[in-house]
Amino acid sequence: MALLEVKDLRTSFHTEDGIVGAVDGVSFSLEKGETLGIVGESGSGKSVTCLTIMGLNAKRNTVSSGEALWKGKNLLDMKPRELRDVRGNEISMIFQDPMTSLNPVQTIGNQLIEAVQLHRDVSQRVARARAVELLKAVGIPRAEGRIDDYPHQFSGGMRQRVMIAMALINDPDLLIADEPTTALDVTTQAQIINLMKRLQEDFGSAIIFITHDLGVVAETADDVLVMYAARVVEHADVDQLFGRPQHPYTWGLMGSLPRLETDLDRLIQIPGQPPSLLRPPAGCRFHPRCPHVMEVCKTTVPELVPTQRDPEHLQACHLDEETKDREAAKLLEATMAKAG
Amino acid sequence: MEAAQAPEARGDELLVVNDVKKYFPITRGIIFQKQIGSVQAVDGVSFSVKKGETLGIVGESGCGKSTLARCIVKLLDTTGGGISFDGRDITKLSRTAMRPIRREMTMIFQDPYASLNPRKRVGFIIGEPLEVHNLGSSSEIKMRVQELLEVVGLNPEHYNRFPHEFSGGQRQRIGVARALAVNPKLIVCDEPVSALDVSVQAQILNLLKDLQDDFGLTYIFIAHDLNVVRHISDRVLVMYLGKVVEIASRDLLYAEPKHPYTGALLSAVPIANPALGRKREPIVLEGDVPSPVNPPSACHFHPRCPRFVQGHCDVEEPPLYPFGNGHVAACHYPLERWPMSADEIRRASSPVQSPSSQSREELPA
Amino acid sequence: MFRYLIRRILWAVLLFIVITFVTFVIFFMGPNDPARAQCGGDQAQPACLKLVTEHYGLDKPIYVQYWRFFKRLVFQQNLGHSYATGQSINQAIGKAAPVTASLVFGGAILWMIMGLLIGVYSALKPRSLLDRTAMVFVLIGISAHPVWIGLIFEYLFGVKLKWTPIANYANFFGAPKDSGLPGGPWQWFYHMILPWCTFAILFAALYARMIRANVMETLNEDFVRTARAKGAPERRVLFSHVLRNALLPVVTMLGMDIGVALGGAIFTETVYQLPGLGRSLIIGVQSNDFATVQGVVVFATIAILLFNLIVDVLYAWIDPRIRLT
Repeated sequence: MALLEVKDLRTSFHTEDGIVGAVDGVSFSLEKGETLGIVGESGSGKSVTCLTIMGLNAKRNTVSSGEALWKGKNLLDMKPRELRDVRGNEISMIFQDPMTSLNPVQTIGNQLIEAVQLHRDVSQRVARARAVELLKAVGIPRAEGRIDDYPHQFSGGMRQRVMIAMALINDPDLLIADEPTTALDVTTQAQIINLMKRLQEDFGSAIIFITHDLGVVAETADDVLVMYAARVVEHADVDQLFGRPQHPYTWGLMGSLPRLETDLDRLIQIPGQPPSLLRPPAGCRFHPRCPHVMEVCKTTVPELVPTQRDPEHLQACHLDEETKDREAAKLLEATMAKAG
Repeated sequence: MEAAQAPEARGDELLVVNDVKKYFPITRGIIFQKQIGSVQAVDGVSFSVKKGETLGIVGESGCGKSTLARCIVKLLDTTGGGISFDGRDITKLSRTAMRPIRREMTMIFQDPYASLNPRKRVGFIIGEPLEVHNLGSSSEIKMRVQELLEVVGLNPEHYNRFPHEFSGGQRQRIGVARALAVNPKLIVCDEPVSALDVSVQAQILNLLKDLQDDFGLTYIFIAHDLNVVRHISDRVLVMYLGKVVEIASRDLLYAEPKHPYTGALLSAVPIANPALGRKREPIVLEGDVPSPVNPPSACHFHPRCPRFVQGHCDVEEPPLYPFGNGHVAACHYPLERWPMSADEIRRASSPVQSPSSQSREELPA
Repeated sequence: MFRYLIRRILWAVLLFIVITFVTFVIFFMGPNDPARAQCGGDQAQPACLKLVTEHYGLDKPIYVQYWRFFKRLVFQQNLGHSYATGQSINQAIGKAAPVTASLVFGGAILWMIMGLLIGVYSALKPRSLLDRTAMVFVLIGISAHPVWIGLIFEYLFGVKLKWTPIANYANFFGAPKDSGLPGGPWQWFYHMILPWCTFAILFAALYARMIRANVMETLNEDFVRTARAKGAPERRVLFSHVLRNALLPVVTMLGMDIGVALGGAIFTETVYQLPGLGRSLIIGVQSNDFATVQGVVVFATIAILLFNLIVDVLYAWIDPRIRLT
């Protein structure tokens, strides 16, 4: 049994302007110790997917359906009490902005101890020792001395380390990281990514890594989910995805990327803007921006189906596979430096 | 410290920046505030920009790159040093004397929403610089604005809309149109694409490149994203804690970085190519960027540097050593080749200049 | 922290000097002649006027008079004597201050309780029936004048329902012997209920609205999401993460509003005939008793400055980000 199995997850927000379908039929599964990357641009539904799994969407005006089976039990059907026992214990989460994600008026020690005592019946002393241990594990220098400091006394990178320590303090089976390095500088980002990889080996947690950065996904994920306008457009093993991308949107993302290793005279841009989720386009949601659009794309929603070659490589596009392989090869020729 | 002379521009140089400093005072006191120190945001930066080229400036947050940009366009007064633009010394110019020059250098900002007045119509926002400089009657200005909207890829009929009716990428196009309105020679772009999604970022980068080709613009392009800087720049300047650590042509800098900090930056950039990424061994720097209030002695990078040599790097400030073809780097122990593994980097070879190497050998192993 | 404290204290001293000087000047420039007031108004004898003028130094330049006043205040803690009754102003204030303090602090506690209950509940259930009802209450509280509210309350609860007394003060520590007045804690409480409600209603309304806004804003903060992601129950999220952050600005507001409220106390004291500072002030103004008026103003200034100081220290104590600066 998969650790987490998400089936046809849908979340919509009822706003004054109408219903926004923020997540529309997302399915995936995650095994123990695996890292799943979710890429997409802002508004693609990647964060909302995870907030829905965690039950962290604002309750008012939000409707979710589908299943998120955690070790066989549907998280969406759990009572608040049961769900709280899972949150921060079996599944924990870190967020994009380390500057605002910690309570400014409590010491980091108290926030870490709270995380332990919410799920373990242990004394203050034991919880504190555990907190120091985790702060050391995430590389906070002089952890014993700094445990009584307040968040504003730490730099952004250090605060993200504290967040990671807090997320891992109860040995979770799954860590959801929502753009954990986006607000950080590139050298700090490298530190955090390194740290997360190392800790994953030590703690054996599975990770869902949400990001808009294809580079970060390539470096961290085993499996990648590409989302566009609330739907999954492609889902594949990381080497497959970068080696033989099958969806025009994925091509667009890859072509848009300025690269460190290759000279590109001109970026291959995706024309237009992402659609409004209030009134998304009919058929394939990417069709108004797609250079390969056909009549069928405007009316029929393409299903997420395996490619003929690889049953693990899922994609949602009406194009025939031969054209896709040709286009993918053309794109790689243009953008990728030879690996070697 | 003697005031630096504004340097003579040689031939094709549009902007020459010589030893520019910007210190922000730190004051303390119970009732009367006295200065107890300063933030050395920009500390002796020199470079020049040729007509028609793009100079990229990279560095992490707090390295002083945005302060430098504001000093160049005189939104901030410099503490020391000289700036000459198109052959004129603009270091000491008054507001009135600066006014005609402001037409020739404009700026594009990071946040496409915050930098546009939400209560003004797009036509007004783009036309305002034209009005300020009295460049035409109102009907001429309207024509020009509509032309500009078209140039940056917006619908000229959207002249009467408000900024909030546009998406982030479109707003940045408005920002570009405003910067372009007065036919400037130089546009200083301060993180113009960092707030945008990848696909939109590509649109803006392509637009900036097209405009440069069409109008012969010169750019100073400030960003923290090394991929973006590489894509758009002809030459690149790397800053760390208010100082220049390396300047080189784009190709040289990315292929043969000399400064260990540049090397660390390059190796920290995630590569969107898993096969290639796995082969790399990133140099992960320890710790955080120190505070610019009290920067480390001599080479500011020495506490984090993998090839730090005690008694040298923390004592003698490295000048910008030349490496040929205009490639300069401020390091006593520059990288010999690239890429290097973390181990190889740690084994620093001999320093650039011989006199100091002797003192190094005297040190215990 | 120490530096912060010193700076606050120095500011308080400076403000004190400025405020006392300004009140002094205003009354000095005023059209009334304190000597005439003391000698019986229009029928004043020239000899009396001369004596009084010399005794108080009323013919001296303003700065000399102010300096005399300031010296006496600082070194003897003496506010002088009333021009109207000749009574010691220190004593008069000593009697009136507890009444006003009862009213203001009791009222503040009441308005905080009401503001917190209404504000927090409305924030947790925005747009619910209670939230909407509460906002109507807020509107009434903000727009109605305390005198009007006081009269309505008196009529309703005192005259019609006979639940409460309609006026007068009862000493907390018992009334003086054979005065025949009510006294003791219960009587004190009983007599203060209506004044408290009247006094608190405006601020309760303002605070309910402010607390509602602050709590709603804090509920959207990232660290609140972090707390929920840790698996903290809602009650805990509210008490240990939301409220402390949401109430930080309220503490500052409270410090400033106690001062403002002191002004509002005048109305309530008048309606319920409470012998507090407000009443002394009004009587003083009516009888041209400059010394009493000034005494009350100086006392109130010191009280407000002291209170602000306490709030500043309190704020530094509860907000760790202030401490180091």
